Amino acid sequence: MAQGGELAALARGDKGAWEAFVRRYAGLVVAAVRGVAREAADVEDLTQEVFLRLCKDDFRLLRSYDPARAGISTWITIVARSTARDAMRRHRPVLMPIDAVPEGRLAVDPIEPAQKLKLPEALLSPRQREILSMLYDREMEVAEIAEALSIDPQTVRSAHHKAMVKLRAHFNTKEE
Amino acid sequence: MSPSDQQQEDLANWSSDRDLWRRSCLTDVTADEAAHFLDFAGFAEGRLEADERDRVAALLAGDPAATDDVAAARAIERGFHLTAGVLDRIIARACAILPGDTAARVVAFPVVPRRRRILHGLAQWGSLAAAMAMASWLGFAMGSGASRALSGPVSSSETSLLPELFDPGSGFLRDLGEVLRT
Repeated sequence: MAQGGELAALARGDKGAWEAFVRRYAGLVVAAVRGVAREAADVEDLTQEVFLRLCKDDFRLLRSYDPARAGISTWITIVARSTARDAMRRHRPVLMPIDAVPEGRLAVDPIEPAQKLKLPEALLSPRQREILSMLYDREMEVAEIAEALSIDPQTVRSAHHKAMVKLRAHFNTKEE
Repeated sequence: MSPSDQQQEDLANWSSDRDLWRRSCLTDVTADEAAHFLDFAGFAEGRLEADERDRVAALLAGDPAATDDVAAARAIERGFHLTAGVLDRIIARACAILPGDTAARVVAFPVVPRRRRILHGLAQWGSLAAAMAMASWLGFAMGSGASRALSGPVSSSETSLLPELFDPGSGFLRDLGEVLRT
């Protein structure tokens, strides 16, 4: 597993640290990409795309990795598969002469808009959303909610507290 | 704190929390891919707390590709097999992404050998000189041809003027000052 020091060296752009990182995780990236690639011949280029993405914008993605939240192997696997899928979508090959392609299929794919969510969907668990909705939209009492959800009233208060902490943190961070 | 104060505070909090909830319901957020990668990795490893696990499970429910990624991450943790030859080439390419130092970022132009440079210069200047000589000769020939055509027949007095300027004995120009003095 990569240590914090190794990641810091990587983020500084240390060539030796990068080579060590590549040697350690190339096999893992290849294995991850191979599960997504349509052709075995694509694996090499897709793996290169993954490494390029990891160091793009001064290692922005690699800096976002938090060892406290997930193991690096699992994280790299998920990043590699997602990157490979995006790359394949971008470089979709043309396999037939253009005259043979029906006109409708020549339409350019619309640019996929960034996925938008309402804040509670992105930040809160379904249970937390449900409890806040019952409290503030339907104006139910804690005891009523506890009874409706067959849970302890203290669990309702706890879920409410955790949800509000997240919402406050979100808005405070945005307004700073 | 008296019961009425407590109730007032609860009411104030309830009111501000309700406002915050309603505000959040109207707020769009763009999916943060980097945060999702960590969420999904944490989910795959079973590291998330119950609330977080439920939230990520809800996100995964609407994203089959990400669900596959989580399953693949769990499977890969159990091991994988690779061919060494391909891996060496991949490692070499990936290592080359990052330049070693500042000097390596500078792209050096290929050095041209000195002998080739001299030949190249000679060819450049030679062709320029040849072009100038050709243009001069052409201009002179065309100019003299046009002049001859425009001037018409030459008079005998004009033809006899030239020999008078030269001394037939020495072949040099005569001293015209002496002629004027006499």
